[in-house]
Amino acid sequence: MRQEEVYGQLAKVSDPELDQPLTELGFIGGVSIDGNSVTVRFRLPTFWCAPNFAFMMAADIRERVSELPWVEGVEVQLQDHFFGSEINGGVNCGKSFVEAFPQLATDNLGELRETFRVKAFLARQERLLRSLLQMGWPEEAILRVRVGDLPELPRSGEGPDLVERYLAILGERGLAGDASAPAFVHPNGRPIEPVEFPSTLAHAQRTRLSVEFNAAFCRGLLKTRYGGADQEITGCTERGRPERLVRRVVE
Amino acid sequence: MFKTDAGEELFIIDGHMHLWDASPANQVNKYGAGFIGCFYDYHRNLSPPEYVWEASLFQKYGPERMVKDVFVDGYVDMGIFQPTYLKDFYKNGFNTTEQNSVLKERHPERFIVNGSWDPRNGEAGLEYLESLVQRYRIPGVKLYTAEWKGNSKGWKLTDPWALRYLEKCQQLGVKNIHVHKGPTIWPLNKDAFEVHDVDEVATAFPGLNFIIEHCGLPRLEDFCWIATQEPNVYGGLAVVMPFIHSRPRYFAEVLANLLWWVGADRLLFASDYAIWHPRWIVDKFMAFEFPDDLRKEFGVSLTMDVKKKILGENAARLYGVDIRGRKKELAHDAVAAGMA
Repeated sequence: MRQEEVYGQLAKVSDPELDQPLTELGFIGGVSIDGNSVTVRFRLPTFWCAPNFAFMMAADIRERVSELPWVEGVEVQLQDHFFGSEINGGVNCGKSFVEAFPQLATDNLGELRETFRVKAFLARQERLLRSLLQMGWPEEAILRVRVGDLPELPRSGEGPDLVERYLAILGERGLAGDASAPAFVHPNGRPIEPVEFPSTLAHAQRTRLSVEFNAAFCRGLLKTRYGGADQEITGCTERGRPERLVRRVVE
Repeated sequence: MFKTDAGEELFIIDGHMHLWDASPANQVNKYGAGFIGCFYDYHRNLSPPEYVWEASLFQKYGPERMVKDVFVDGYVDMGIFQPTYLKDFYKNGFNTTEQNSVLKERHPERFIVNGSWDPRNGEAGLEYLESLVQRYRIPGVKLYTAEWKGNSKGWKLTDPWALRYLEKCQQLGVKNIHVHKGPTIWPLNKDAFEVHDVDEVATAFPGLNFIIEHCGLPRLEDFCWIATQEPNVYGGLAVVMPFIHSRPRYFAEVLANLLWWVGADRLLFASDYAIWHPRWIVDKFMAFEFPDDLRKEFGVSLTMDVKKKILGENAARLYGVDIRGRKKELAHDAVAAGMA
């Protein structure tokens, strides 16, 4: 029961570069619970994965798991990483990135995080736009869609729920509050003008492609390194988290 | 040499290869073990199963094996060495200009050997660059902007010392600047990972060619934008090519974008040997065609002319190789004699 709650929180933590939950990526190596203390082990596709992203994930794990009312302590253990001890030591003591890497970091990770949320926004938007185009929607009709219309949009039926994912990131950026506002906007909220549609889509496509290419590489490497990212995912399924975790977003 | 079913011969230049020694005897520390371990995972992950090696062979395969794999079995006519020093990790270095040159001495017409520099070495590094030119006549260099050195988190092409090195390259006629901006295998921070510094130096040094390894992935969008602005920016296809086997759809999408934005004249085939064997990559690339939807969307196609450019003609132009003349020379060299 408590395991499920912890996994439920971990499903809210995404790899910032790949925009996919750690639980789906197979990055969670295991969870142990001792009374009200939780230990979360996680692992990455390579020994050299960028420490700034690793730090963000570790900090997010700690924050999300701490939100459970019964949790009194969270320990994050990043495994098999060249900066594992620095990251674990920093995050478990509640340090910021700069505090954890006083010699190496000159700035906080906020700007980097925002850069990658913008990429995630573009990638999610592009997938939804493309699915509408494939269903035969003309560009003008797409640009007339309002935020309030989004939940009613037809679904392509395959893969992740593109509408739900786009709505979530619109909300995250504070762009989902007004139902009458245009649904397809730039990351700063400015509506996409008809004349900008092709170039906006092409740019977003390259962003989406970079993210997906990277995700495919990372998933493959994790599998090579640990002999099957799917094992842990299957483990979760047994604990009552069906299909959603098994689904492979990338493919 | 790759021969098509119609009997046409394609001259192939592999734009990115290594002869490394990562054996335990040469490793200095756990980072040496970790570095080759990461390469080995790349190798195991994207190679077809019949091309996956034992770890010990992958750590050190030696010159004879390389010549056989690349030239005898792998269709490659010429290869470009891109050195990676890593002297903090490996006693004699991982893959240095000096190590690579031993093989070039044996097969002078088959190899092009590039050098390398790090702007953080200051004046001494400039002298070393001059010595590489005198001794090995290097026509290019391979740079790792993401490498950490002491307290430094990496460097930019626009750093004052990097500009001095680029000026030196221009003076000495070291024209081809290969820049590694690819997948994360080395501690990186955001500055070391992005590709925008290429934009500035490509404008400032129009006489140099900037070949961005791995086409800037996973920052494809930035790379395409820069290459569109700068005529002297090229894409090196190492790491991109092997996706042709495990992820053909992504490969097609990436290549369609590259052909549309960068163009067929500015992309260079590379296997990254010994991470991947060129034989299967060339076989699959020659058989590859774009899916209909991408052909329509981008208006690009993989004609024989395009394949020829990517596999050899573009690198030949950058490195001043006369393909017709070189073909004749290679027909009678030691490697060709071994193949007969």
